[in-house]
Amino acid sequence: MTSFQSTLGEEEGIAEELAENQRAISIAEFFEKNKHMLGFDSGARGLVTAVKEAVDNALDAAEEAGILPDIYVEIQEEGDYYRLIVEDNGPGLTKESLPKVFGKLLYGSRFHAREQSRGQQGIGISAAVLYSQLTSGKPAKITSRTQGSSEAEYFELIIDTDDNEPEISVEETASWDRPHGTRIELEMEANMRARAQLHDYIKHTAVVNPHARLELKEPSEHFKAERATDELPEETEEIRPHPHGVELGTVMKMLSATDSHSISGFLQEEFTRVGKKTATSVIDEFRDRHFGREMSWETPTADDGDAVAAAIEDATANKGATATADFAETIATTVENRERICHHKLVDIVESAAESAEDEHGTTFGETVRENAVEAAWAELVGDESDESGSTEAESDGDSRIVADLYALADDATSTRKDDAVIHAFAERLAGKFEDAEDLRHRFTHAALRSAVDRAAELTEEYDDAAFGDTARENVVEAVWGVMRTVPDDPPLVRELTEDRDASSQLVDGMRATDIMAPPTRCLSPITDELIEAGLRKEFDADFYAAATRDAGVSGGDPFIVEAGIAYGDDLEAEGSADVLRFANRVPLVYQRGACATTDVVKQIGWRNYGLDQPGGSGVPNGPAVIMVHVASTNVPFTSESKDAVANVPEIEDEIELAIREAARELKSYLNKRRSMEKRRRKQSVLGQILPEMAEKVAEVTDNPEPNIDDAVARIMNNVLVERELEENGDGQSVSIVVENHTSTTESFELTDIVTAEPRELSDGANVVEMDGEWFIKWDGDVSSGEEATLEYEIEADASFDLDVSGVESEKLTVTDQ
Amino acid sequence: MSTDTNQEAREQLIDLAAEFYDQFEGGEIPSMTLPTRTKSNIEYDEEKGVWVYGDRTSTRSANSVRGAQKLLKAVYTIEFLADQLEEDRSSTLRELYYLSESWNNDNAQFNDQDESNQLIEDLEIVSEVTREDFHMRPEESGAKVMGPLHIREQTNRGERDIHCQLDVGQGGYQIPNNPDTIEFLDNDADFVLCVETGGMRDRLVENGFDADYDALIVHLGGQPARATRRLIRRLHDELELPVTVFADGDPWSYRIYGSVAYGSIKSAHLSEYLATPEAKYIGIQPADIVEYDLPTDPLSDSDINALESELSDPRFQTDYWEEQIELQLEIGKKAEQQSLAARGLDFVTDTYLPERLEAMGVL
Repeated sequence: MTSFQSTLGEEEGIAEELAENQRAISIAEFFEKNKHMLGFDSGARGLVTAVKEAVDNALDAAEEAGILPDIYVEIQEEGDYYRLIVEDNGPGLTKESLPKVFGKLLYGSRFHAREQSRGQQGIGISAAVLYSQLTSGKPAKITSRTQGSSEAEYFELIIDTDDNEPEISVEETASWDRPHGTRIELEMEANMRARAQLHDYIKHTAVVNPHARLELKEPSEHFKAERATDELPEETEEIRPHPHGVELGTVMKMLSATDSHSISGFLQEEFTRVGKKTATSVIDEFRDRHFGREMSWETPTADDGDAVAAAIEDATANKGATATADFAETIATTVENRERICHHKLVDIVESAAESAEDEHGTTFGETVRENAVEAAWAELVGDESDESGSTEAESDGDSRIVADLYALADDATSTRKDDAVIHAFAERLAGKFEDAEDLRHRFTHAALRSAVDRAAELTEEYDDAAFGDTARENVVEAVWGVMRTVPDDPPLVRELTEDRDASSQLVDGMRATDIMAPPTRCLSPITDELIEAGLRKEFDADFYAAATRDAGVSGGDPFIVEAGIAYGDDLEAEGSADVLRFANRVPLVYQRGACATTDVVKQIGWRNYGLDQPGGSGVPNGPAVIMVHVASTNVPFTSESKDAVANVPEIEDEIELAIREAARELKSYLNKRRSMEKRRRKQSVLGQILPEMAEKVAEVTDNPEPNIDDAVARIMNNVLVERELEENGDGQSVSIVVENHTSTTESFELTDIVTAEPRELSDGANVVEMDGEWFIKWDGDVSSGEEATLEYEIEADASFDLDVSGVESEKLTVTDQ
Repeated sequence: MSTDTNQEAREQLIDLAAEFYDQFEGGEIPSMTLPTRTKSNIEYDEEKGVWVYGDRTSTRSANSVRGAQKLLKAVYTIEFLADQLEEDRSSTLRELYYLSESWNNDNAQFNDQDESNQLIEDLEIVSEVTREDFHMRPEESGAKVMGPLHIREQTNRGERDIHCQLDVGQGGYQIPNNPDTIEFLDNDADFVLCVETGGMRDRLVENGFDADYDALIVHLGGQPARATRRLIRRLHDELELPVTVFADGDPWSYRIYGSVAYGSIKSAHLSEYLATPEAKYIGIQPADIVEYDLPTDPLSDSDINALESELSDPRFQTDYWEEQIELQLEIGKKAEQQSLAARGLDFVTDTYLPERLEAMGVL
């Protein structure tokens, strides 16, 4: 078998030959071959996707201009082809930008914006144009009129797939009856097999865009969705990126583009939620990664402190005995007073001791003196071997101080079952790593510390035959890292960072590691629970609606808000499972239901708890219900470019679940109430039959007139009983209306009695209004359980009455008006 | 069967309906309060010497669908009974059950005969009129008497004088549904011997035990019907005859004895008329099983449960019964009356009964 290597060598110029065949692929060309990625994989789906892209664009355009969207979609059969027309009342497009918007892929205003919007990549509508030209060979016909212009612009264009540029075949002015807006006409190979999805798309769009008016006319059906509100969604604001949501490449690009010099300025300037304090925290994290931390050791006790002073005195020459002693003493005492000391702190201490010694004794403590002092003191503090007095003394005690220090840390951090001797051996080895370190200041990055600990642990395992596992190592690393100190070194400047990929990466890591307030949510425009309910109410005939809007959360630096709504009962399909409507940034998601995080969450929820039937206790619940979920984000994580399914991001899934549960709780209490009312109704209907029968029989047996059973029935049904009692009173009659509450709760009632004569001596709390010869007596109030309230008045004997009671559920109300 | 009693019973029933009427008129929820009919709510009436219902009551109220249905049925039944009394006719409990079908009201129809039987008992308790006075009778009275007793029975066809030994066949004299229609004329009896099983009754009659010992042999046929118990009570009260009960040696038979002697839980309101507290138990006693070394069957789980339940039944809380039941639980065996045949067909009449009756002081 010939090796490839040898042939390569023999055939000269193959690389050149291959290179000849290699050329750049235009994005348009790429998508021509990968239509499915954008949702144009079949004729049926292509049509839905084209409608979707055009409508999304139209809604965005109108909203951005502060116009209540009014969108008309028409699909015409055209031989083997279909013609799609979408018209909006948006602001229209200028002559210059129009061809690019429709005829160039990846052209758009939104890709770089951190703001909630329907389209993002600038692919959608131009992909539809591309699909149309590929399947029908016809150009897209676009009319647009900007506000105030007398004429509309008319274009016919195709996309040149070689260079991703629009190719305009017709460009003229035209007249159009809309004062402003855009109309696009696309002809494409398609079919109406996805009619249901198309209708769903329009209907669902209407649910989440209650401020929009939508009209769909297709070969066999024609329907409109009217507005439920005249309020436009709140305008969103673009925000700067959040430090938690940017990647290295982006940061490097930002670094080279910024005007800031310092990292701190860069952070505060270019990111949202970063002030001076947060910038400092980020920079500290960066320092830890870039420079490493310095180990801080336990300070010596008073006796050993003398040794520090002595070492400094030894190292300081020609400064006069008093000044030297004072200088050494100051340093030693300051060090002693600290719990731990690291190298840069020691430098600080020596500096200030030198300053004060200079002030006091008038002697110059120059650079060299200071350096010597630091070196001598540090050597004494860490018990360096090279320093004879300290080390011998320490060794005679058995342990050097740093071994003792590390031993204490390791012993605390590891399990109590570890043998003392093993820990001790490990501490000695780890101390060795510090002593052997090139950097005498004992600076280690987290990674370097980890490898030192690993090495010491491995040696311990090898020689002491004891386990020193991952958890133990991690704990030791964290314990030591915890006492290590961030160094005060100045971070590099922005311009230095731009050239340093590693340092930039350390900055990104530092940003991620810092706790930073969640990004502001003014870049998001949730529908709000009220409007979700209104939207559902408008598009679905149900008995019950509930909606919930969660507070904003953050995922990968992008803020997001989840909203959920539930409709239940009445005309909704009772057979089979509930409808799950999924939305992202106000756009309905029609395909790939099973791949969507929303569906997954709906399936995981135990719907039986909320009163819905759920066979097997998991999966989409059964029954006449619609469950809708809206995820709004500056960057909705989709599973693919066709934007059909929300990816399974844990933070978003959690919020989806909470939003659904919030709405479902309302559903539960509604269903519970409904069930108890139904029970009451059933009881009422059975008893309503039995009791009169019984009364009749009793009357028959006892030979009496039939008794009045209303009171008894109200009592049995635990109802509110409203009864009129009349009593002759001279020429007129006294009327009293008694409200008896036999329920177990306080009931509020509103009562209207329409009478044909003027009532007199009306009791307190009631008032009367005359209208066209009829008197409306209004009376309302609360009756607590077991109590009664009475309305009284006098009226002519021949007056007639008409009583109406509201405020009490009809199932709980018995009115007897004689 | 005087018209007076009919009228009285009828008025009691209509009073009951009138009570419902008043409750309706007063805006109250119609209801009917009854003593709770469970084992835990019967207590010994010192004065009458029988077990009667205690103080605990339960209420049938129209508050619920079930309760309303019960009361509706009660009213329909009251109407039916009132009409029946007026026409001086009678019907059986089963007929009442079927009759409800003709009431032309689905809600008033009985679901099963237990329900109609229970309703009649309820009405008995509330109206303090016995079923017999409502002219309601059970299907099977079945019980028969054989022995030296001369009676006069009021029948639909007039009075009949009957001697329960000389005028009857091998089967004996059939006790009518309402034994209060019987007048005792004369007797030569020394005691009453109630026998649980038909087989044993036939054995005693064949062996001439009634003639030899001047015994009135009353066949109980399982749980004795009310008429049987009423007759036994009258035989005891009016003829001052000692009453003995001869049954199988198992917990179910003790209950048969219990209902003869102490009254049943279901009809504790009538104990005064039906129970014969002085009735004595002959056997088969657990002690007999040991003494006569009778062929036995092991106690089943349900037997053991029944025995234990009897230990907690206030009617059986006497030294005698506690001793016997505990003995039986200990030996874990039960025996039938007919197991005495293991000692020969005449053993029961020649040996067992004379021995036992003598020991009990009856002979």
